[in-house]
This record gives sequence, structure tokens and C-alpha cells, in this order.
Amino acid sequence: MVSPAAEISTTPFAPELAIKIEHLNFYFGEGELKKQVLFDISLDLPQGQIVILTGPSGSGKTTLLTLIGALRTLKEGSLQVLGQEVVGLSNRALIPIRRNIGFIFQAHNLFESLTASQNVEMSVELTSHLSDKQQRAADMLSKLGLGDRIHYKPNALSGGQKQRVAIARAMVNHPKIILADEPTAALDKASGRDVVNLMRHLCETEGTTVLMVTHDNRILDVADRIINLVDGRLESDSNPETYKQSH
Amino acid sequence: MAFFSFKRVPLAWLNLTHDRKKFATSLGGVAFAVLLMFVFTGFMNALYDSQVQVLNRLNGEVIVINRLKNNMFVPRSFARRRLYQVRAFDGVADAYPLYISDGNWKNPETKKSFAVRTLAFNLGDPVLDMPEVNEQISALQLPNTALIDTRARAEIGPTDAGIVSELAERELKIVGTFELGTDFAAGNGNLIMSDINFLRYFANRGPEEVNRSFATADVGVVKLTADASPEKVVTALQQALPNDVLVLTKEGPNGFVNRERTYWQENTSIGFVFTLLTTMSFFVGIILVYQILYTDVADHWAEYATLKAMGYSNLYLLGVVLQESIFLSVLGFIPGCIISYLLYTGAANATGLFFQMTSERVVNLFLATFVMCLVSGAIAVRKVQATDPAEVFGG
Repeated sequence: MVSPAAEISTTPFAPELAIKIEHLNFYFGEGELKKQVLFDISLDLPQGQIVILTGPSGSGKTTLLTLIGALRTLKEGSLQVLGQEVVGLSNRALIPIRRNIGFIFQAHNLFESLTASQNVEMSVELTSHLSDKQQRAADMLSKLGLGDRIHYKPNALSGGQKQRVAIARAMVNHPKIILADEPTAALDKASGRDVVNLMRHLCETEGTTVLMVTHDNRILDVADRIINLVDGRLESDSNPETYKQSH
Repeated sequence: MAFFSFKRVPLAWLNLTHDRKKFATSLGGVAFAVLLMFVFTGFMNALYDSQVQVLNRLNGEVIVINRLKNNMFVPRSFARRRLYQVRAFDGVADAYPLYISDGNWKNPETKKSFAVRTLAFNLGDPVLDMPEVNEQISALQLPNTALIDTRARAEIGPTDAGIVSELAERELKIVGTFELGTDFAAGNGNLIMSDINFLRYFANRGPEEVNRSFATADVGVVKLTADASPEKVVTALQQALPNDVLVLTKEGPNGFVNRERTYWQENTSIGFVFTLLTTMSFFVGIILVYQILYTDVADHWAEYATLKAMGYSNLYLLGVVLQESIFLSVLGFIPGCIISYLLYTGAANATGLFFQMTSERVVNLFLATFVMCLVSGAIAVRKVQATDPAEVFGG
């Protein structure tokens, strides 16, 4: 642990930590082809923090995101998501962990056959709130300014609106963690800005931790903290102002 | 997690029907596979069912035939005096000769000749269990008269009462009709006449044809008394009668009707050919449905992977694909079945064969369709299971 920002939160284990990573290594491939992509990552993310993960292509930032999202099995080090150890879990055991996390992708990945509301309801159906799922979906869509588009299918929505439906889907169950992968990459400047502001607003009110991978320099200022990953190692961990000065 | 709860978003249904054009094409594909299976099994069953139609109408429990007549196509007759011998046995109420011969019938419109089968009997004997024939017995008493099969093939011309044409180059007046249908032995259709008229047409046919007389009969129909057991009578008759005749029960696994059906099943490639064709249609169906489901999974790959990332299990996605396959099997079967029904009616009219769409056959083919779709679904599901949620990120 070298970075000053990380030192602040280096308590043994604080319940207010959303994600705690210690000496995490990750490899792709097996045997001869085995290639290490993440080297000894240690990182603490407190609850309610908005963190941008940046770095050049192939630096392993998306891989780190999928690991935190419990989308891959892990063998080395320690990764605790909301207090639960992920390292060593089987694929099947990873599924319930995913339900506490909201995912937002570069592409909206909405079902063309479902309305905005139904796409969001797919997320609610993972919980036991089946009876008022439509109300929940409608509430979340309204918060994202799509109150009048609830029964539209994705075809009838603009790119920014589709991404906002995807955000509603990720946030409707009020997850403690949101993982976002280049959420603004497919959007123009104005709608990209719009989408990030909404995300920031919602996360602040709900105390959600956001970890966002992005190349988009236009949105760096929404972050509380910027982590730079180079060649699978943590390069720097700073706030947006310091980051902008140094890059 | 309840996968089929009505409160859930019906993802399988919505994905399947979202693109109306594609959905219609998919149903068309399934319906086509169903149609193929119906047509092939239909022809197979029609060919078998048709062979035994006449035999089923014989009004007796025991049948006597020439030992060499191993199917209805063999024109071997036996000495009619055997039937007089039969009448002397216990349990036998009566024994009637049925005379059968092929002859050329001239289409009254085109004047072309076609082979038809003539069934003849003594008008006093209730040989056939066909009420419509028995009502018209008095009309058959006139010379050179016959009843004609309305389900004969179209080639032999109109089949109405009042038509006058030629059978075996002698004038014949049609005085009535009945419904029977053709089979391999019948050629293009059937005529029914009195035994006296039968002699008028077939007693002196010239040097190259078999001349018929009352000395020989083609099928002996034995009517038993109400309390007699057909099996016992058959055993007694077969022991006592000379070996030139074969005595069989009409019904039963070793009976006359079954023997005829078995003959055509075992001695022709009908069964093999049509079973092969049906199986092929089944596999064509599997491939069609697999293509439909695979395309759906491939098109929605990122969405399905997103569902996995959100925390949906493989089991849920498996359920979605299998539901889609079930929808396809049910909704594709209905139009397939309706078109097949129309096709059966058309084919029955055109060929005179006996196309039956029994509920048992419909249920069997529905089960085949269902299995067809499930197998395709099971293959397509592997694609979903292989979907890695980690791959939706970045790429």
C-alpha cells in the first residue's frame, strides 16, 4: 500500500467498506499460455464513493471490474465485496453476489422486445418484490427523467435514453455497488454528461459506491477519486484535481 | 425462483413474437415440418388402411380361401363345394361365396379402359356388411347391372347411378353407388353385382383370360352361430377340410384382416420408405427449430449475458429457450395440422385411398413435434450456457 489516499482507509476491516482488495493476482489462460494480467492489487473502496478507474488499453481495468462484479472465479489474494469473500468461490456461488451489484455497460444491452419498464422489471424479478415491480420500475425510470417513456420499446428511444433505462435497470434494486464500463462511450457529449450527472445524483442520495471504467476525460470531474491502472499494477490513486495536473 | 410465474415478464414469448415477420417464418418452418410428417405417415397409413377395407366389410367371423392366396392380389380361387362341407360343421350358421374378378371398365366420357375389381355374390346372401349395398339389392336383380364405388379414382369417369358403359367389353348399367375406396388389388375402383351377372361378364372371356364359373369362389365368408368360438371352428374346419383351402378367423392377430395388412407391411417397402421419410422430416424439423432458437440466442447474446451478470442463473435462461421451443411446437403444430387435414381430404379424393386423421395419430405426431422442438431447444441451450457474462464488458 503506497498511495496516500488508500492509506486513509487502511483499517483492518471497516463495515463502511464496500470493496476491500488485498494482494489480488489474476491470470488468463492455463499452463504454457498462462499470462498474469493483474499484479498484487490492494485497494479499499469506502461506501458512497464514486471512483473512476482509468488507464491505457490492456491495462486490466475491465478485468478488475469483472472480478469485483463476481463474473470470474478467483484463486489468489483476497477480494471482499460488501464483506463477503469472493476468492475461491465457484461459478454457482458467485451468482447471489452479483445480485447485490448493478451493472452498466458500454452498450445498453436492453431487450428490443421488452418495453423500458419490462427491461427494468427483469431486474426487480431477481428480488421478491414481484407484486409491485411495475411501480418500482416506473419510479426509477421517472427519477431518470423517463417518466413519459415507460412503455416505449428501446427502438423508440434515443441513445441517451436507452442508457438511462440501462441505469434504471442497474439501480432499481438499490444495489450498494454500481459497476460501470465506459457508460458514456456510445453517447455524444451532452447526453454523456447528462447520464453521468444523473448517476452521480442518484448515488449520492442512496450512498451507492460507483466504480466506473472510462477513457472519457470529459467526465473525470464527477469522481471523488481516480485510480490509474497501468500494465496490471496500480499506478496512482488521487483526486480529480491532482490527476488532471499530473496527466 | 419460480420460472413460470405469471407475474414475470414473459421474456420467451416476447422475444419470439417481437419480430412479427420472423415469428411468422418460424411458425411456417415448424408447420412445414409437421406437414411433411403428416403427409408421409398419412400415405403410409392410407396404403395399409386401404388394403383391408374390403376385408373389414365381410359379414362373417371365419374366412375360407385358397391356400395359395396369400394376399388379395393373388387371383386364386377354391372349390365352392368346400363351403358346402363347411356348412355341416357345428357352430356354422351359413357360408357364402364371394366372387372377385378384374375387368376393364370403359370410362363413358373418354372411352378409355381402366382395370376395376368386381365383387359378386348371390343376392340372397348377406356377404357384405354394407347397409347402402344391402338396400340396393333389388336393383341388382336385373341383367347387366352393377353398383359403382363413388370413391373410385377419377380416371374411370363419373360414378353416378344411371350411367351406361362397358365392363369386359359388355354393356353394363350402373343402378346405384356405394362408398369403399381403392387399394392395390382393386386397381382403379370397385363394382358390385349379382353372381348371375358376374357369370355374364366373366364366364367366357376368351382364351387368354380365366373363365369363371360357380364351381370356384374367391373368398368364403362363414357366418357362425352366436355361441360359437371362431378359433375352435377354425381349428375344426382346418383339420377336416383338405389342405387346398386355408381357414382363418376374420379378426384377431392371426386373422385374415391382419394377415393382409402384415403382408403389405412386410413384403413392400412402403413401411420402410415412409418411415424413413417421416424420420427425415423429423430431423429437418429439429434443424429448422434449432436455427430459429440459435438465431434468437445469438442475436440477443449480449442481453442474455447481461441477465447472467445481473444474477440470473443458467437454469432461468434454459427455461427461456425451452419455453420458446414449446411455443413453437404448439403454435406451429396447429397450422401444420389444419393444412395436413385439407391435404388428406384432397389426397383421398384424388387417389381413392383411405386417409384417416385419427385422434391417436394426431396426438402421436403432436408428441413427435413436441420432442422435435425440445431436442432443438436442448441443443440451442448449450449456446446460452456457454455465454460468459464477463465478456459483455469492454471486449
